[in-house]
Amino acid sequence: MRKYVEDLDFRGEEHINEWTPWSPQDIRRKKGVLEAARMMLNSALTAPVAGGVPSTEGHLVYGQEELESVARKIEELAYTNKVWKEAFLYEAVMVRDSDVIIFLGNTRCHETPLDAGCGLCGGGLDCSNFYEKKTHKYGLVDITDRSSPRHINGPLCTARVGDLGYAVGSALWTACTLMVDARPFASVGMAGQKMGYCPKSGMVVGVPVAAKSKNPYVDVNVDYHLINMEKVLDNTRKVYGTARIIRGFDYRKWIPKPKAVGKEEEE
Amino acid sequence: MGHLFGKEYSLEHVVDVAKSIVLAIHKAPQITGKTRIEAEILWGEDLVPVIEVMEQTGRAFRYVQWDYETIKRCHDKGESPVIVAIGAAASLSNLGWNCGSCGFDTCKEYNEFANGVGSGLLGGPSCNWKVLDWAIACDWACAAAWQYRVDNRIMGSVGAALGFLGYLPGSSVKLGLALGPPRDLVYYSREDVHKVLTYEMDKMDLLNSVPAMFAGFPGGGNPAYKTKDDWWAPPENVKFWMDPAPLEIVQDALFEKIPLIVAKYSGEIEARYKK
Repeated sequence: MRKYVEDLDFRGEEHINEWTPWSPQDIRRKKGVLEAARMMLNSALTAPVAGGVPSTEGHLVYGQEELESVARKIEELAYTNKVWKEAFLYEAVMVRDSDVIIFLGNTRCHETPLDAGCGLCGGGLDCSNFYEKKTHKYGLVDITDRSSPRHINGPLCTARVGDLGYAVGSALWTACTLMVDARPFASVGMAGQKMGYCPKSGMVVGVPVAAKSKNPYVDVNVDYHLINMEKVLDNTRKVYGTARIIRGFDYRKWIPKPKAVGKEEEE
Repeated sequence: MGHLFGKEYSLEHVVDVAKSIVLAIHKAPQITGKTRIEAEILWGEDLVPVIEVMEQTGRAFRYVQWDYETIKRCHDKGESPVIVAIGAAASLSNLGWNCGSCGFDTCKEYNEFANGVGSGLLGGPSCNWKVLDWAIACDWACAAAWQYRVDNRIMGSVGAALGFLGYLPGSSVKLGLALGPPRDLVYYSREDVHKVLTYEMDKMDLLNSVPAMFAGFPGGGNPAYKTKDDWWAPPENVKFWMDPAPLEIVQDALFEKIPLIVAKYSGEIEARYKK
């Protein structure tokens, strides 16, 4: 039997703590989340789909620069639609507070529909609602022109979009089972799609994942893009330094003490 | 003190499991946070109208036929499946996202198109983001069922029947999660369909659905298809034509037979929602 060197020396210790961010102990924690995210993605691939047709692709994204890029793309999108602005700005903060992002996309909804005449997209008894708005020859959709004035180049096969929902649902179910925090976001998905994640997909949903003492995706305050943990900490850094210098002393010679109650009167 | 045993107790408990599954449906996370989800539970004799409608749609669509045969045969044996009906109000968008995934530039344009339309087998038209929310809820229903180790399958066939009969009146899209009876492999490798399935049917379904599998040498431009053991004597070829027979079956099922079934049951079903 072959023995691996690491098997012969199976021992060690791992200190894990979310504080301070991006420290070795925090990165070890993030690696645990990455393992959970991998299992979530596997769950997404086993989700029920119409006709048992494979149509889900996934992308795992992690790292400080990578998450910051996604957050900035969401902020960019926020300013393209008044309705999105505040929610998307909040969600960009959540992305920065995440450990891993799972992007899940459906590779068929824009190109190879279910062709079952289910009616979900247009309400009819055939697939004409989809094909009449697509460039195609005898039902083979030409997706080579990827330019679109819209955020998502619809129409899409809604049955396939439903399959994407199943994939997202299964990923989220596994997150619950593994007790990591996760939520599905349109903003994260659209940003990811524009950045090239899930490159073969017509629609993408982003599922940020985290394992922290406070779930990043719930219980936010107003103006969350202005008042959040990162900003609070930065503001503490901003004011505390100044607070120290306005009243300095040589601690080796004298340290101010609180007045003892009644002592002054006796003296 | 107590002593529970036998098939009846197990079957009844599937209804309790269905109730727990409905909790999971409503707990499922949403992307929009604005999609109204409905769920109902049907079993026993209340499945009869659903089974009757599925019999008709099953004439037109093989996948419905298998679901129909499975549910009907379980029901007839006294092992009623329990159906969790899951719907959502997805036809109109109140999001204002103007994302374009529906094919319109704005939600306003889409809503103008979608208002009053809607005759698809599974419902529609739909806002794709609301369908995503609904699908996540359906997926959580399936996942919850697996957690209880109850055989289950989410079915468009049942959803279409629910739509015809007027169940889930507030929903524009509907699916049915069939649960139980409590044994292994009810809806996968379906034993209850053994008596219906013939070798010839299976072979013809494959020939019709995956013709490339049976194609001979294509170099001549008109390949022979291996439809029999001695496929070369004489060879048979593929020909495309408009076959009116399947369309006639669809027409008869959807517009002749099913309206009669709906007329028989819809009054009673509608009355339940007025209570």
